[in-house]
Amino acid sequence: MELVLNSGACNGCRICELACSFHHQGVFAPEYSSLKVSNDYREGKIHLSLEATCDFCLQESQPMCVQYCVTGALKKGRENEPS
Amino acid sequence: MNPAKFGGLAGQILRVDLGSKKISTEETEKYAKNFLGGRTINSYILLKEMDPETKFSDPKNMLIFGVGCLVGTLAPGACRVSIETKSPYSNGKGSANFGGHFGPELKYAGFDHVVITGKSKDPVYLWIHDGEVEIKDAISVWGRNTGETEKILREELGDNRIQVASIGPAGERGVRGSIVFTNPGKAAGGSGVGWVMGAKKLKAIAVRGHGSVRVAEPQRFMAAVNRSLAKIQASPYAQGWRRGIIEAKFLPHSPAWNFFASPRNGQDEFWPLEKRAKLVGLESGVPRYKKRIMACFGCPIGCLPYSEIEEGKYKGTKGVGYWINSATYSTKLDLDDPAASIRYHLMLNELGLDGDMCSTSLAWAFECFEKGLLSKGDCDGLNLRWGDGEAILAMQQKLAYREGIGDFLADGVKESARKLGKGSEFWATHIKGQDSVDPYRAAKGWGFGVAISPVGGRHLRGAVSAPEVTGPRGLKWSPAAYENIPEAVYWQSQAKEIEDMAGFCIFVGTWSGVHALEVSDYTELMSSALGIDLIEKDLMKIARKGVNLEKAFNTLHAGFDRTDDYPPRRYMEEPVQSGPHAGSRCDKERWDEMLDRFYELNGWDKKTGWPTWKGLEELGLGEVAARLKKVGRLK
Repeated sequence: MELVLNSGACNGCRICELACSFHHQGVFAPEYSSLKVSNDYREGKIHLSLEATCDFCLQESQPMCVQYCVTGALKKGRENEPS
Repeated sequence: MNPAKFGGLAGQILRVDLGSKKISTEETEKYAKNFLGGRTINSYILLKEMDPETKFSDPKNMLIFGVGCLVGTLAPGACRVSIETKSPYSNGKGSANFGGHFGPELKYAGFDHVVITGKSKDPVYLWIHDGEVEIKDAISVWGRNTGETEKILREELGDNRIQVASIGPAGERGVRGSIVFTNPGKAAGGSGVGWVMGAKKLKAIAVRGHGSVRVAEPQRFMAAVNRSLAKIQASPYAQGWRRGIIEAKFLPHSPAWNFFASPRNGQDEFWPLEKRAKLVGLESGVPRYKKRIMACFGCPIGCLPYSEIEEGKYKGTKGVGYWINSATYSTKLDLDDPAASIRYHLMLNELGLDGDMCSTSLAWAFECFEKGLLSKGDCDGLNLRWGDGEAILAMQQKLAYREGIGDFLADGVKESARKLGKGSEFWATHIKGQDSVDPYRAAKGWGFGVAISPVGGRHLRGAVSAPEVTGPRGLKWSPAAYENIPEAVYWQSQAKEIEDMAGFCIFVGTWSGVHALEVSDYTELMSSALGIDLIEKDLMKIARKGVNLEKAFNTLHAGFDRTDDYPPRRYMEEPVQSGPHAGSRCDKERWDEMLDRFYELNGWDKKTGWPTWKGLEELGLGEVAARLKKVGRLK
């Protein structure tokens, strides 16, 4: 499985970082998140990146970050795969 | 770092004296057990520790940052920080609040509150990281605007995930209406909190934390989070804020649309539809410049448009800002040019100026110009004509740097009118000494909530717009009538206290009406996160403590009484000129009836407006009552 990250659709709220850290450690801590959101407010750019610690939440029905994302910036599947 | 006994909290309060450079910490729990968090703890510390004889300008004035007790968790929209101080406008309660990503970062760095006292000899900034604090030389950022300050500090400290709260040139120069700014485009405005930070020679606070926030009952908390998110997603108002806010208030299908304008310094409270459409219409107005939406931390709405202007005289203007403030500001100055409106809004944030304060001061000057009391010569060669974007932008710059006419206006509209005289006091709209931007006459619940606000003419205490959007469920009231307004404002002032205690944004809660978060949701989220048994009634009681702490501060420090809870004279004597509410004004007799009822509900004395022994005792605030009794200001 893969995650498709669409930085263009993201609004930078970082809810995914909270959901991900809760999945890994049971606490809320962006530091423990496999997903990282970088906001550039001067240029209006947002960048999403995924670290190797991501386990795709295999025991969940959906990855936690996908479950909680409100913008549709995160999706389960392969890049270029029709959703 | 000491792990907090309560869930939700970081666990420690940081105290910094900028004069002696002394740094200390204490446990948050000592305060949290009675006041839970955020603004309510700030208010308690401010009231308990500040000597009423200490003026706002004294280095001993306190500047307290308080992060809501749910900030840093998945509680939706809980990201906000309250800032309390003694107000430079009044010597009464100063209070302002911002969202963004600063609050959660402070908690991940180990602190719930930062209490700042003293004054540094030279400009400094605080660098807070993972339980450590450094007071650092601010030579690289003093004189810089807020965006540059953030950029430079991130480079200097070598981490682009550092969050920064800073003042701009306005705060450095002692402009009364200065903000504390943080990204994305969020300002703690009102009460001159940026003035106090500037007076302490504190340019910024930079923060970075690699820690975590835990909740006491994770499963129960996540269930409450899921229910809350579903309610927010289902709320048309919450989603309206996402679409750039304008729809919720300014387009004709909004129940509130005819109530929120005070054109030409409040000479009227109706703005023609053509002007509204030009400024905020989806095709022609500010939305046409939107490139994307950006959001505060943990917010499922996201209300902050990033705009870019690609043609015309404001070409090259870009940044993240918040449209509704632009709309309020624009009607006050009769400006219907959307590009100029985006330009000045972004400029306010860079300069560190508050839009409400700035537009009120500017609108007063424009009216003086219209009536011949200020000449072109008095205004450094500018023609202050209503709706002139260029004049507005030039005046903002002058105000922030205290140049010429800007220096004359920089202490607020009350002081400007006192200096000029000649009847200009009549259109100087202020309450409790502070500039007041809001309309009062058409929407009775809004006007009343603004007038009784302990922080002086502000709409974020008890102001209610329309029953579909704000106020309690089940109460019958309507925006243009006086009936049941005190009851609605009484409830709203407590609900807002809870939101500031926990750190919730009003757009996920009490400004999004039916279906968005309610006090019952806050109760469940706070109980499961903090690990304390709360029912809704308990939470409302703690909120009433907070409301009374602010009331007591004003009574003790500023000597405010019933006479300070009336609208500016203009709004009582001069009716609305046009539109569906033409002829409407604030009726003195009806106002007195509302005040009587509001004081009665709060347990305050009707004649003086002061707190009562009985009212404070019932809330467990006997120590506050004793202090008021000692100076003869308790009934």
